[in-house]
Amino acid sequence: MSYAREIEAALKDGFLRRTLDKFAVEYRAGRDRVFAEVDERALIQRIADVKDDAARHMEELYERFRAEAEKRGAVVLRAKDAAEAREIIAAIAKENDVHKIVKSKSMTAEEIGLNAHLEAAGIEVNETDLGEWIVQLRHERPSHMVMPAIHLSRGQVADEFEKATGRAQDHEDVHKLVKTARAELRPKFHAADMGISGANFLIAETGSLAIVTNEGNGRLVNTLPRVHVALAGLDKLIPTLDDALTALQVLPRNATGQRLTSYVTFIDGATACAKSPTGRKILHIVLLDNGRADLARDPLFSQIYRCVRCGACANVCPVFRLVGGHRMGHVYVGAIGLVLTYLYHDRAAANKLCQNCVGCGACKDVCSGGIDLPRLIQEIRARFAKEDGEPVVSRLARYAMRKRTTFHRLLKFMRFVQKPFAGKDGFVRHLPMALFGKQGFKSLPALAKKSFRELWPTLLRPVEKPRFRIALFAGCALDFSLPHQLVAAMKVFAHFGVEVEFPMEQTCCGLPLVTLGEKETALEVARQNIAAFAGEYDAIVTLCASCASHLKHWYKDTLGAEAEAFSAKVMDFSSFVHDKLGLTKKDFTRLDWKVAYHASCHLCRALGVKEAPRALIAAAAHYTPTPEEESCCGFGGSWSFKFPEISKELMHKKLDNACSGDATHLALDCPGCTIQLRGGADREKRPIQVVHVAEVLAASLEAGAK
Amino acid sequence: MEETATDLFIARAEAAAAQVHAVPDEAAAAREVEAIRAEKGADGGAHGVRALPGGVGVVRAAKGIAQTGTCIVVTDDEALRLETMLPEVSVILLNSADILPDLPSAAPFLRAEQTQGRASYVSFITGPSRTADIERVSAIGVHGPLELHIVLIGGRP
Repeated sequence: MSYAREIEAALKDGFLRRTLDKFAVEYRAGRDRVFAEVDERALIQRIADVKDDAARHMEELYERFRAEAEKRGAVVLRAKDAAEAREIIAAIAKENDVHKIVKSKSMTAEEIGLNAHLEAAGIEVNETDLGEWIVQLRHERPSHMVMPAIHLSRGQVADEFEKATGRAQDHEDVHKLVKTARAELRPKFHAADMGISGANFLIAETGSLAIVTNEGNGRLVNTLPRVHVALAGLDKLIPTLDDALTALQVLPRNATGQRLTSYVTFIDGATACAKSPTGRKILHIVLLDNGRADLARDPLFSQIYRCVRCGACANVCPVFRLVGGHRMGHVYVGAIGLVLTYLYHDRAAANKLCQNCVGCGACKDVCSGGIDLPRLIQEIRARFAKEDGEPVVSRLARYAMRKRTTFHRLLKFMRFVQKPFAGKDGFVRHLPMALFGKQGFKSLPALAKKSFRELWPTLLRPVEKPRFRIALFAGCALDFSLPHQLVAAMKVFAHFGVEVEFPMEQTCCGLPLVTLGEKETALEVARQNIAAFAGEYDAIVTLCASCASHLKHWYKDTLGAEAEAFSAKVMDFSSFVHDKLGLTKKDFTRLDWKVAYHASCHLCRALGVKEAPRALIAAAAHYTPTPEEESCCGFGGSWSFKFPEISKELMHKKLDNACSGDATHLALDCPGCTIQLRGGADREKRPIQVVHVAEVLAASLEAGAK
Repeated sequence: MEETATDLFIARAEAAAAQVHAVPDEAAAAREVEAIRAEKGADGGAHGVRALPGGVGVVRAAKGIAQTGTCIVVTDDEALRLETMLPEVSVILLNSADILPDLPSAAPFLRAEQTQGRASYVSFITGPSRTADIERVSAIGVHGPLELHIVLIGGRP
C-alpha cells in the first residue's frame, strides 16, 4: 500500500483515532502532574550535558564498562552492525545449547531484527512484555516504543489470545486478558534456557546494567534462565550511577507519567544462578555499534544519543495522534523514530516519513534530553531534497526569491492572475471547488489588492517624542495577503507613541527556502534582510511568529556573529507590546468580544512566548480559555499541501476546541495559522472570527476613541 | 505540620498502589507479616491464577525513597530475588529510619553495593507489577506480584 493510502486508512480507523486522541490529552495531564514535583528544565539540561559528554567519550566509557563488568564475571562483546550482533547472540545460544528463549522488551533487538534470525536457527523465542507478546502473535511490529500494542483493541487482543491458547477469552475485561498472559507465559519463563533483555543504562563506573520495567517480566527474564544476554546500543553508556539516577527522574515521568516504574533493576555482574552449571549466571552484554560510534562525532546528529527511549516525542506528536506509530515510524517510532530510520534503517522509508513532520516543535519541547528533533528532521529533508535532485518548486523558489524585486514582481503578477477569482472577503472565490481536490478543506486566501508595502506611504504618521523607534518586518504572507493585520498593528504603535520604519529592501525571511532544502538561497535572503535592517532601532518587530523564530534562531545559529545584533533585536508583536510597552488593562477599553486563543507553534515553543498574548487579550477583551491551545493547527507551510488529509483533521480539531465554549473570536500571532484557521472557519461555516492579537488591540482602541 | 520523609514515602507508595502497614517495632512487624500470610493463604489462590512457587513472598528492604515511594531491595541471593518476583503477594519490610529523600540520594548506597568486589542485583521496587498495554487500561499484577505490602517499621505511633 502506498504511504498516502496507509494514511487515508489510518484516518478512517475510528478505534485508533479515539484511543490516540484520548491518550494525547491524558498523557499531557499526567505528565504535567508529575513534572510539577521536580525541576524539569534543569533535569533535562543535565541529561543533555551528561549524554553529550558520554557521546564524546564513548570509547573510553566502553573500555571502562567492559573492564568493570568483566571483573564481575560478565562477558562484554561489541558488534559493529546488526548482522554481527545477530551472529554473536546466535553463537551464544548455540554454545550454551539453548532451545528456548524468553525476551523482555528491547528496541535494540527490534533494530537488528533478532527474533527472525534466532527462529531461523530453530530456537523458540517468546516475547514476554504484554504488548510485545501481542504484536509478536500478530506478526506485527510495535506501534509505540513504550506501548507496542496501543493500536489494538481489547477485542483484537482477545482474538489473538484465543488463537494462542485454544481457549475462549473474555472480549471485554482487560484484567482477565492480562491474567491470561500471566498464566500463559509463566511456564515459558521457567522452561527457558536463555533470557534476552535490553538495558536502559550501561553504567561505566561499575560495569552495571540498569533495566527499567513495569510488568515484572524483565526481572524473570534476567533471573530464571541460566543464560542472560543483555543487548544495548553504545549510546546507552553513561559514566556514573548518579547520572543514571538523574535520568531516572525524567524517563518514567516522560514515558508514562509515573514517578518511577514498578521496577528498576541494577545488575552488576554474574550473580548466583541455581540453574547454571557453574552456579553463576552466564551473562553476556552485547553492545551494538551499527553506526553509533561514527554518529557520536557528527556535529549535528550526535545529539540523538541524548535519547533515553521514553517515547514522549510520539506522545505529543499531532501527526502520530492522527495516524499512529506504524505510519509515524519504522522500527523506532515518533520524531526520534523518523531520525533513527534515516540513520539506522531504511532510507526510502525515512524519506517518506520525514516529509510527514509538521514541524510544530512539540517533541523538542518534551524530549528527555532536549534533542532538537524538528531541526534534525528538517536537515534530513534537505539532504533528501539534494540527493533526489531538486523538484521544480525548489528551483523556482531559488530563482524567484534570490532577488527581492523579482520575487515581489512575481507576487504582483499572481495578484493580477487571481483577479477574476478573488472575493471581496479576502478568499479565492468564483472557482469550482473540484479544482482544489484534497486542498479544498479550507478556503484559500487571496492576495490583497494592495500589499502593505504599497499601503505604507499612506500609513506614515509622524510621532512626537517617540517612546521607541522600531523597524517592522512584515513577512510575505502579511505583506501580500493579510496587510490589514499590519495596519491594525500600526494603529497600536501610533496610539502608544512608537515610531515605525518599514525598510523597503526587506524580503522573505527565508524559512520556506530552508524547508525546501534551499539553504544557499536562504542565506542570501538572510544577508539581504540583515542589510535592510542595519539602522538604529530599539527593536525589529514582526507579527509573524514563524518569521520571528526564523530570524531569531536560524539566522543566529547559521550566520553567527554576522546576525547576532540583528537577531537580538527581533521581537514578536505580542512580546513587544506587552513586555516593552508594558500595556495593561488600563490602556484599553474592554471589548465585549469573547476571545479564544491559538498558541502558534513558533510562538509558544520556538520562541517560548506564552503569557504576553493571553495577557493582552485579557486586557482588551474577554479571554476565553479553550482546550489544547498549544496544539498545532496543521498548517506547517508547504506540509499542508503534501498531507492535506492530516492537515484538515488537525485544523478541524483546533476549530472544534476553539468553538467548544462561547468564543466569538479566535486570536493568534501568525499568518500561517491565520490562513489555515480563517480558511477553515470559512469553509466549515464556524461561528468564530479569526484575528491577529493586533486586531483585538486595535479594535479596543477604536472602541475607546468613540 | 511539616511533612516528614515517612509521610511522603507513605503517600507516594500508596499512589503507586502499594499497601503500607505502619507498625511500631520488629515484633509488631512479625505479627503483621503473619496476618498477611494468614489472610492471603499460602497459595494465593484467591487472586486468580495460582502463583509459583507460593502465595506470599517476604523480603527486607535496605533503603526506601520518599519521593517515589520506592523500596530498595538487595537480592544477590537468587532465592531471595525470586521471593520478590514469583509470588502473587509480595511483602517488603522497611525501617523508616532507612528512608532516603530522593533518587539521587541513593547513589552512595548503590555504589557501595556495587563496589564490594562481587556481583550484585539491586532492585528498586515501587508498587506491584503493572501494565497499560491493552487499550491503556491500567492493570495491576502482570508477571510480578499482584499486591505489594510494605510493612513500615517505626514510622508512626
